[in-house]
Amino acid sequence: MDRLKRTYRVREGDFIQAGEASIHVKNTLKALNFQGALVRRVAICCYEAEMNLVMHGGDGTLTVEISSEDISIVVEDSGPGIEDTERAMQEGYSTASEAFREMGFGAGMGLPNMKRNSDAFHVDSALGRGTVVTMGFSGEGGVHE
Amino acid sequence: MSDDGHESECYVCFDTERCNGCTRCVRRCPTKALRVRHGKVVQRRDACIGCGNCLRACPQGAVRAASIELAFLKQSPISVALVTPVLYTQFPGVLPRDILQGLKRLGFTHAVDMSYFFDTFQCATKEFVQENRTTGKVPWPLLSPICPVVLRLIKSRFPQLIPHIHPIERPVAMMADEVTRILSQHYGVDEGEISLCYINPCPTKKGIDPKISEPHFTNGGPYAMGIRDIYTQLAREVSHVRTSESLPGASAGYAFEQCTSGEGFIWGMSGGETRVCNIEKSLSVSGLDETVRMLEKIEMGLFREIEYLEFRACTEGCIGGALTAIDKYLAKSASQQMVRILGTGRCTNPDHILPLFDKSWFFSEASGCASVTDHVYTPRPLTIDEMMKIDALVHLINGQDCAACGAPDCRTFAEDVVRGEASVDACLILRAKGITGEKAMDYINSKECGHACQGFS
Repeated sequence: MDRLKRTYRVREGDFIQAGEASIHVKNTLKALNFQGALVRRVAICCYEAEMNLVMHGGDGTLTVEISSEDISIVVEDSGPGIEDTERAMQEGYSTASEAFREMGFGAGMGLPNMKRNSDAFHVDSALGRGTVVTMGFSGEGGVHE
Repeated sequence: MSDDGHESECYVCFDTERCNGCTRCVRRCPTKALRVRHGKVVQRRDACIGCGNCLRACPQGAVRAASIELAFLKQSPISVALVTPVLYTQFPGVLPRDILQGLKRLGFTHAVDMSYFFDTFQCATKEFVQENRTTGKVPWPLLSPICPVVLRLIKSRFPQLIPHIHPIERPVAMMADEVTRILSQHYGVDEGEISLCYINPCPTKKGIDPKISEPHFTNGGPYAMGIRDIYTQLAREVSHVRTSESLPGASAGYAFEQCTSGEGFIWGMSGGETRVCNIEKSLSVSGLDETVRMLEKIEMGLFREIEYLEFRACTEGCIGGALTAIDKYLAKSASQQMVRILGTGRCTNPDHILPLFDKSWFFSEASGCASVTDHVYTPRPLTIDEMMKIDALVHLINGQDCAACGAPDCRTFAEDVVRGEASVDACLILRAKGITGEKAMDYINSKECGHACQGFS
């Protein structure tokens, strides 16, 4: 089965490019005729992940694999890592700086939002070794080919 | 491409004599509807959304907007100019009534100002937003239905957002209905005898063939004339009106013929709609690129706390329309001055409007759906296999979006090639690298090319 794989680099602090990778993924899925609701879920997850890289991630990559049956997103960064992943999953918990919060980010909804909008979700992280977030989406009935 | 006999089908047409194939328009088209082939621009007419970017971009003057001739209207017994206040801004310091009078001297039987209908829209919009804050029936943010280019953009590139379109009838559609109804009663003639002509700041009306109408743009009054197309003639008439005191004033018998408020001028400027509608959590966006970016964000779930988004495809709003005659910043200053002189305030009485609102008078399923059901081209979906070939070709070219092939950028070129609509030989970069078309096609058709780390091409 055909699997389309793409990797996007995302740089920390790059607010000008922030969101571009997500838009590119979203428009690819639209061109492939995936269902609107699924495209939206993937786009929301991508955007949250991308913003996390921009805010905390050091430099990182966002890798998307698309087949007609499923979509996976792997987000890897070289940032400081998450001390307590369970706590980070709580809505409203955020370690974003005051400056970022003033910009409207850091509401503590990023990871919970990703979990809510994906069909499979996993965070692998520890202090000092960066973070890997893996998300899966079932494309079942997604492509109306 | 020849435009003979097809002028009516599109918002703009191209003069092949003047076109020198420079690709400036190709690169600025938001729906990628243009290509250069054999040194001349070709147009996918059904993909055009009438934004006017090509008109602005062309240094050769090869792009024309659909428009009708004044002489054509004079054949009609009752012709009505539908006037947006943007027209007034083109004559700094001149009062609206003098401009309306000038239009009559040009040959229109009536010249009707749109302010009354803006006011009605604003009243209904405010009510709708207030009423639905807690019902949970409305998908926030609501997207303004005013700019027809944005409606078509949503239809063609963001169909998921169609339910967000604010479902109140557009002022221009209300106006066309009401004016036709009242005047046909007044004269005791068939509605078909009334010829409406919208004096347009932008090329968002298709040409002169009445059969090709967008029902909810001017409701069966599909004529349009660019401001620019009548500007010099109108300016002459207007100066005449201003110097002769003896002309009888316009006979303002109906509510919509009263034009005394400066409020209409506010509508022509970006931010005007949200200002007069007075919705607290609202944003105003102008310019096509900015609009696309904003729609991308909304599609990714952002701005759900915003209630209303005003979009104008033209920078600074309708005063920046591609068919206006004077500089948009001059027009802006003229608008602000007129608002000071005429003051703001309603031309309508909310006590008359709100009962109609309660009867669902202003809803048109129309605004949400029908007004964008005019056919908009969407490309055939790609398969994953095709997308992989496109990625491979983009990677192989590794170009700078030079557009020398005639497509707006490398990715679109690759898509054209994979869809079989362009030959890979058109790429100068591949040729410079010594990669023949055959070799390139072999490469993208082989599975060994794998994936590459993507940029954002």
